[in-house]
Amino acid sequence: MVIERREIFQEFPGESDWDVVIIGAGPNGLMAGAYLAKAGLRVALVERRYEIGGGLVTEEILFPCYSSNAHVIYHMMVDYMPVLRDFNLDRHALVWIKPNAQTAMVFENGESLVLAQMLEDTKDSIRKHSIRDSIAFGKVMRTWERVVSDIVAPATYVPPASPLDLTLALQRSEIGREMLEITERSPLEIITDTFENERVRTIMLYTSCMWGLDPRETGIGFFVPLLLVRGMNKCYCYGGSHKFAGALAREIVQAGGTILDAAEVTGILTENGRAAGVQTAEGRLLRSKVVVSSLDPKITFLELVGAQNLPEVLKESTEGWKYDKWSFNTLHIVTDEPQRYACDDPWVDESFMTVFGFENTERLLAHWDNVISGRIDLDNFGGHATCESFFDPFLCRMPGKYVSFFQMHAPYDIEGGWEVRGEELKEAMLAKWQRAAPNLKRESIVKSVCETPVDIERRLNMRRGSIKHGDYNPTQLGYFRPNTECSGSRTPIEGLYLCGASMYPGGLVLGGNGYLAANKVAEDLGAAMWWKPTPEMERYVKTYFD
Amino acid sequence: MNREEKYDIVIVGGGPNGTTAAAYLAKCGMSVCVLEERPEAGGSIENVEVIPGVRIDPHATYMYAGAAPGFDQLELWKYGFRMDWRQEKLDKMLAAMMATGKIHLCLTTEGMAKPTEKDTLNWMKLTGMDPSAPFTRELLRAIYWCPPHPPEVEVTAENIPYMQVYKRHQPDVWTEELLEMTLFELMDEYVESEPVKMLHAMVSWYSGASPEWEGVAIPALGGECLLGYTFSNPPRGGMHDYFHAIIRCAIAHGAVIRTCCPVDEIIISNGRAAGVRLRETAAQGEKTIWADKAVLSGVDVKQTFLKLIGRRHLDASFIQRIKDISLKASSIYVSHFLFKGRPRYRARFALEGTDMIPGQGVYPCDSREIYYEHLADINGRKGPPSMPVEKVMWIDCGSKLEIPDACTIPGHYLISPLYVIVPPPEYLVGGPEAIDKQKAKWDAYMREALGQVLETDNIVAQWSNTPWESEHRNVGLIGGGWYATRHCRDQWAENRPNRLLPELARYRTPIDGLYLCNQSSCHPGGLALMAIPYNLMHILIEDGLVEPGDWWYPSPWYIPQQGKISAKPR
Ligand SMILES: Cc1cc2nc3c(=O)[nH]c(=O)nc-3n(C[C@H](O)[C@H](O)[C@H](O)COP(=O)(O)OP(=O)(O)OC[C@H]3O[C@@H](n4cnc5c(N)ncnc54)[C@H](O)[C@@H]3O)c2cc1C
Ligand SMILES: Cc1cc2nc3c(=O)[nH]c(=O)nc-3n(C[C@H](O)[C@H](O)[C@H](O)COP(=O)(O)OP(=O)(O)OC[C@H]3O[C@@H](n4cnc5c(N)ncnc54)[C@H](O)[C@@H]3O)c2cc1C
Repeated sequence: MVIERREIFQEFPGESDWDVVIIGAGPNGLMAGAYLAKAGLRVALVERRYEIGGGLVTEEILFPCYSSNAHVIYHMMVDYMPVLRDFNLDRHALVWIKPNAQTAMVFENGESLVLAQMLEDTKDSIRKHSIRDSIAFGKVMRTWERVVSDIVAPATYVPPASPLDLTLALQRSEIGREMLEITERSPLEIITDTFENERVRTIMLYTSCMWGLDPRETGIGFFVPLLLVRGMNKCYCYGGSHKFAGALAREIVQAGGTILDAAEVTGILTENGRAAGVQTAEGRLLRSKVVVSSLDPKITFLELVGAQNLPEVLKESTEGWKYDKWSFNTLHIVTDEPQRYACDDPWVDESFMTVFGFENTERLLAHWDNVISGRIDLDNFGGHATCESFFDPFLCRMPGKYVSFFQMHAPYDIEGGWEVRGEELKEAMLAKWQRAAPNLKRESIVKSVCETPVDIERRLNMRRGSIKHGDYNPTQLGYFRPNTECSGSRTPIEGLYLCGASMYPGGLVLGGNGYLAANKVAEDLGAAMWWKPTPEMERYVKTYFD
Repeated sequence: MNREEKYDIVIVGGGPNGTTAAAYLAKCGMSVCVLEERPEAGGSIENVEVIPGVRIDPHATYMYAGAAPGFDQLELWKYGFRMDWRQEKLDKMLAAMMATGKIHLCLTTEGMAKPTEKDTLNWMKLTGMDPSAPFTRELLRAIYWCPPHPPEVEVTAENIPYMQVYKRHQPDVWTEELLEMTLFELMDEYVESEPVKMLHAMVSWYSGASPEWEGVAIPALGGECLLGYTFSNPPRGGMHDYFHAIIRCAIAHGAVIRTCCPVDEIIISNGRAAGVRLRETAAQGEKTIWADKAVLSGVDVKQTFLKLIGRRHLDASFIQRIKDISLKASSIYVSHFLFKGRPRYRARFALEGTDMIPGQGVYPCDSREIYYEHLADINGRKGPPSMPVEKVMWIDCGSKLEIPDACTIPGHYLISPLYVIVPPPEYLVGGPEAIDKQKAKWDAYMREALGQVLETDNIVAQWSNTPWESEHRNVGLIGGGWYATRHCRDQWAENRPNRLLPELARYRTPIDGLYLCNQSSCHPGGLALMAIPYNLMHILIEDGLVEPGDWWYPSPWYIPQQGKISAKPR
């Protein structure tokens, strides 16, 4: 009793031909796909999960009825991303929310700090702790905002220049020289030099290093202005981050592109040293002129191309790729009311992000040092929390309920293992959160769930829970990301490109990696580039590279 | 921002029916806008990765649409549609069944049932699965993928589509009485073993029509055929990925599909549906979207008339009849179980000769008395289950055991979903939350029920959605049931949504330009995906709203309404 399948219906073919195959439909794969499909190329995105989006994942993990932004929630580059200007994503009802109160920090004694979009609001809050620091903040922001708006932000969407070229270029302007000077120093130095008050230093350090900078590392100092300024300009994607992915996917499909979900790529085909397509776990073959991978170099080169097919130099630098120094452990909860923090400023409750657990920089640094060496000290840890429902009614399906999360830095290889330690840590996080926000009573918690670094790896194939697909350190940043062979999207394997978080400009949803890869691919395939650089990018290139 | 927009067609609700209609209409060249309340379209066709590596189906789990013309007409393969065939495993299973004579699906308190030859052969004869003269696809298309006949046509044993199919392929099954029969009566004639009858009975009940309902023997049997037609294989990536092919088809043809856009009102002007107004929480605020040609309501029939249109535009008699539409059907308590280590079935449920885990099953199939007791509980007493746990009837769709990508945690296995039918929350003695208030107790009940056939000591996680929760998760799922309202004779074909609402019989409504496109309001109801939009296409063509291209073909049993344009290509 065997029915011939073909008689039932036709399915996506076992073999197909494309101009471009993109591996992974995270933000970067989607953005690359959207540009290239609209350029008239025949594009296929191949995604391992049943749903596209990668880090843009809004999932009902507090099942049933409550969804959370399991990964990306803070969108820091909305104001600059070319993709938001080149496409009319409005059409898909994509709406960004940007609260004024951006990042708050609360302390044991009820004092607090709020970093807001409005400069004077932030200064008001700092002034409670140090008049000098509030003046210093105002002053330093004059430079830092320009470092970001004139240089670092537009440079995010321009291929990386070699360090020498970049240094020469930046010499051209006052602000460029300031940036070079900042770059030489470590985040910790910059912050301790700029601010005197420990509380102020702590929030500044947290904000600038929370995404994985080593506070004591020199040569990466320009990240401080970048992450501080953009950290005060975070946007929330109304309806959950996945809506952003959905809007991009609609653009791809509308332009004739194809998306295959639940299709894990198990191999990148090479023919005569050229990338020729991909193979999926279910045995489908997608042949293509070029392959663009959004995965990290270890997966892309060692697993999918195969170590034996790599030029020696590439193999070596790939093997040297370092994953992130830490990951996240996130506790998601549903409650009857939003958190009310025990502190002296009602704005804290309205902040997009609230940090707690750290009284001073020493404690904060000790926590991060612990995490890097695989430990969490239950007497000294902290993190940041957000009540998503405060901004978004669409995540909760039951009336009168709120979803929130508390996220902390955590090692992938935790002492004792996550399976054993997970529950204990969850309890500790809950206790810590309750101390900061006393209305978070145990009885008011309807549901809770933790997403550990191991879970992150399992959900998205982000190895070792590396939220940026690889560490930020001077040898893996800028022109050196992921390595000099692959700097700038192209790789030594002809027809194979990188577009994910492991390449320049790095992790997080920056809107750069996929965009830059699309530029290269379109150029190499001779496709019509229907888009133009943004005015900020043009100004940057003109000022520094003409 | 533009506060107003205009499209040819505006569709309320981005569930499978609304979105498939969008795909059909966009393919006809219409400008279409779908407005979905939730952040993700798909209605009940959704997957959730509850914990990383574990993907469950809170609602739809099986592909019931195998026979739909839509696969071909909408060319879903182009949009990545593919199945997760488990042919090899099924072959192994079939071989083991042949060798042992047992059916793994049919679980009785004594173990697996053994069908007789007559059981099998006659069932194949009834369902058109006899390989020498197959007609299942035709039968299914006749039952589901054909619009009801127009009001001026008297419905007879000669012109009911499925009767025509029997007359042609199995003339000895065709009798006038067939139209009066219950599935139990039909089975009593053709099938021997009680457990086998109970298996079919349960699957039919869960697939839309109960075995004791008068006059729907064939539609009831059809429900099981829908499932069997693709051997209960799921689409690759789960049902939501089937939906992806639909939504991408719609978008590729230019449809605009917006989420976080709850509709608050269907705007009626001069007796015509002119557009919709969004709720103030909608992503872009309280916007008005005008419809030049038609508004389609892809949300449930009660919400459509009672809330979105409201009393102002409808007469009191009509409102009362809408209110009276019964939600009794298939309100369902759904549990999903994660096991550490392979599920260990009790010895009497072993299928010798295979290392396969049975995976799917219906329990207890001993006799119809148990089933009747269960029914009395749900629809009669309307209370939380009072059945002793040994007797509660369940369906275990355990299909996830054979789909490795549904559970990727090493050494873990997923049995999901397990279904038990309970009363609709709206009618529950003790109030709509009576079951939810004691969810821990009912979760344990579900575990114990499953525990009748396997060891439960290695269950490490359980997720459940009660009907009340299902209804909140997806406001379209009135009653928290999976096919909204009964597919009984009073509510089937020309009678859907029900016999007292003839003005809604053929997708049209008393309001010009407003059409229905939801399982609760349209023939053939739930499950048989793509049927409502396909059937609705006939009506929209009749009304001169669309002119499809060469790819269109109507149902061969379709009868055009007098005075309208025929949906048959000229
Ligand atoms: C808990 C957490 C919180 C975060 N919060 C933020 C935040 O608030 N703001 C922010 O900007 N960033 C945040 N990030 C970081 C952000 O998610 C990533 O840096 C970003 O998603 C990287 O985008 P990408 O497209 O390069 O890769 P990814 O988002 O990782 O996408 C890669 C895609 O490829 C798929 N894939 C993997 N292997 C295969 C294969 N073999 N075949 C086919 N497909 C495959 C994956 O399933 C995935 O969909 C967070 C990350 C985590 C884990
Ligand atoms: C437990 C369960 C199991 C099932 N199993 C299967 C199965 O295995 N196979 C199968 O094929 N089918 C199955 N079904 C049935 C199938 O899911 C339904 O038949 C199908 O989803 C009905 O589609 P619909 O488009 O008519 O309605 P729905 O899926 O309910 O879609 C309606 C949509 O409208 C939206 N909406 C509601 N109100 C508004 C508003 N005011 N404004 C905007 N949008 C709104 C909702 O959010 C929803 O997305 C199952 C259902 C359930 C509940």
